[in-house]
Amino acid sequence: MKHYDMIIVGAGPAGLSAAIEAAKRGMKVVVYDENAKPGGQLFKQIHKFFGSREHYAKIRGFQIGEKLLAEASELGVEVVLDAIVIGIFPEKEVTVKIGEHVTHAKGDTILIATGASENMVTFPGWTLPGVIGAGAAQTMMNLHGVLPGHRVLMLGTGNVGLVVSFQLMQAGCEVVALADAAPRVGGYGVHASKVARCGVPFYLSHTIVSAEGEDHVTGVTIGQVDANWQIIEGSEKHFDVDTICLAVGLSPMSKLCDMAGCDMEDNPAKAGFVPVVDEYGETSVSGIYAAGDVSGIEEASSAMIEGRIAGIAAAVKLGYLSEAEGTAEIEKQKAALGGLRQGMFAPGMRGKQITETEEGIAISQNLLQYGFVSDEEVERFPGVTHSSGIHPVMECTQNIPCNPCQDACKNHCIKIGSHITSLPSVDPEAKCTGCGMCVAACSGQAIFLVREDCGDGTAEITLPYEFLPLPQKGEKGTALSRKGEAVCEAEVVGVRTAKVFDHTNLLTMKVPKEYAMKARFFRKGEPV
Amino acid sequence: MNDRNRELKPFVEAPDDDMIICRCEEITKGEIRRAVHDGMFTLTEIRRYLRTGMGLCQGQTCTKLVKSIVARELGVKPNALGSATGRAPMRPIEMQILAKDKGE
Amino acid sequence: MRIQEHPILGTYEKGKTVSFTFDGKQLEGCAGEPIAMALKNAGVMVHRYTKKEHKPRGIFCAIGRCTDCVMVVNGKPNVRTCITPLEAGMEVRTQYGVSAGKEGNAV
Repeated sequence: MKHYDMIIVGAGPAGLSAAIEAAKRGMKVVVYDENAKPGGQLFKQIHKFFGSREHYAKIRGFQIGEKLLAEASELGVEVVLDAIVIGIFPEKEVTVKIGEHVTHAKGDTILIATGASENMVTFPGWTLPGVIGAGAAQTMMNLHGVLPGHRVLMLGTGNVGLVVSFQLMQAGCEVVALADAAPRVGGYGVHASKVARCGVPFYLSHTIVSAEGEDHVTGVTIGQVDANWQIIEGSEKHFDVDTICLAVGLSPMSKLCDMAGCDMEDNPAKAGFVPVVDEYGETSVSGIYAAGDVSGIEEASSAMIEGRIAGIAAAVKLGYLSEAEGTAEIEKQKAALGGLRQGMFAPGMRGKQITETEEGIAISQNLLQYGFVSDEEVERFPGVTHSSGIHPVMECTQNIPCNPCQDACKNHCIKIGSHITSLPSVDPEAKCTGCGMCVAACSGQAIFLVREDCGDGTAEITLPYEFLPLPQKGEKGTALSRKGEAVCEAEVVGVRTAKVFDHTNLLTMKVPKEYAMKARFFRKGEPV
Repeated sequence: MNDRNRELKPFVEAPDDDMIICRCEEITKGEIRRAVHDGMFTLTEIRRYLRTGMGLCQGQTCTKLVKSIVARELGVKPNALGSATGRAPMRPIEMQILAKDKGE
Repeated sequence: MRIQEHPILGTYEKGKTVSFTFDGKQLEGCAGEPIAMALKNAGVMVHRYTKKEHKPRGIFCAIGRCTDCVMVVNGKPNVRTCITPLEAGMEVRTQYGVSAGKEGNAV
């Protein structure tokens, strides 16, 4: 039987981060993962992460995965793939199926970082081929380069539903609509807005009535739900689609914890059945830790910190690190975690309806209902100002823990302050040079550079553009509103690509000046 | 959950009773609802009685769905039901592989 | 359908093109990619028909969890095609119930 200081189940963000911290202290660590590739879901995340620098903000998920893997391998962490932990037994004995054999290993500490599984909803036709989980869509397009479908309906407007909808469009699919039984968009408003401005309609308080098709999906009908979640007759809408994507939440995959004898609780704030853990992630069984989604659904950013805390705590427990040093390092991690757990989407806010921002500004109701901030509403946020020259317009209207824009501006035009969830505001004294670093740095793609009046009756808008084919300078097309509706003709007057922008291209379009604060996206092709 | 004197409302057929809930074992919502009325009040009992969650995927898709159906039928909140016992093997595994296990 | 070039990921590293059969029909895919991806690319949606209700199933979770995509591969049933790498010359068959035979009998 092999013996380790720490056995980690799951090579996702939490598991790898814990492995790195433990190995740094000289511990002998093994990470088992049932998949053929490590990284958990990180390698399917192609959007830029939120947070601040310590949380890997503005770095795309798969690049964070690469960083973690490189670090773990440098430290000599043993990562065993296609290794399925089939049981945890007394005295921390773990049985693992590797290939055609079952092997036994014993750990002085164990970290369970098995992540989450996708929730599902039922409707007539939900077992038809073509109905897939949002994770499946990500796996197909982002890992294997295969289109999940041509025309897709997304059910669910949480961050997964929003992010995957955008990724589907980036891959070349048409997203016909987003539906959600809830009355309000569940995910970040900025994620919703970047989908909405491409012209995808949002149907809140709507769910799937049925999926149609004989051998595979050929269509879907959605309908509006009443207060009792029943379909309102006559509200049905039909879409011809070949794919229905389900993104209706995640549940902790905590069976191993249960089996290991950890005290469990069914905690709605953690989105399901989870092990009871202390501030270090240690369960009721001494030496068995849990970190990441398995102990409560959150973002990958917080999973990484939870993993780090568990890794350091285990090092202290086994004497690889003094208690004083360990406590100091854990406090640092906790502060970082605290930063992430603030704002409107913090775990403690689940289920609560928020009406105004921390600054006391009324939340955009249009954003919650239709996925975009209306032209009138946007004016009341501190990131939206007007001046004669080129200036940033930050359509960031919810308190989320994120601040790369503040660091991106070398001229200090953008202020968030030390409180990471504060809405960005424009410093009227500072001079915007139009460098575009803020546009590329914004993980929510919510910053635009606007020259409201070029002096010839036109305005110029620079926007983030992450689609192919990239429009060319001189190309004429259509400017779309925040809702994604054609508003006027637009001419591309500049396209900037740079390594530092990391695939967020900056497209500058010229529109009649009355559309300076209305046009927010560019559609290729004949102007309408 | 083990109060066998629990009063249940009479079983009434519902239009979506034929909806597949456990995809692997093809168990319908109606079968699960009936099982509750047959006296299966815990998730472990339901699982043994109907084989929900005992197919190839080992309940990875339907666990939460089954739980909510049973809870509604019993008139309790889903989190009052706890969970069915978790035991090895956590994933489906061929018998011959288990048979070769020499404890090493 | 394959994504030729992705705005963020660029081009995908794929294995060399290999032939395999699906229900006796010759198809092509990339070596090492999941069998299910090669099938999806070839437009195959139905991987199996269920045992009780004989209903079609295909890819659902794509990460080896849900087991809906199982097929008979090289004579072995219940193979999760979404996580089993494609090899040249593989014989992939639609699964009926738990075997490759339409009436529930092995072929």
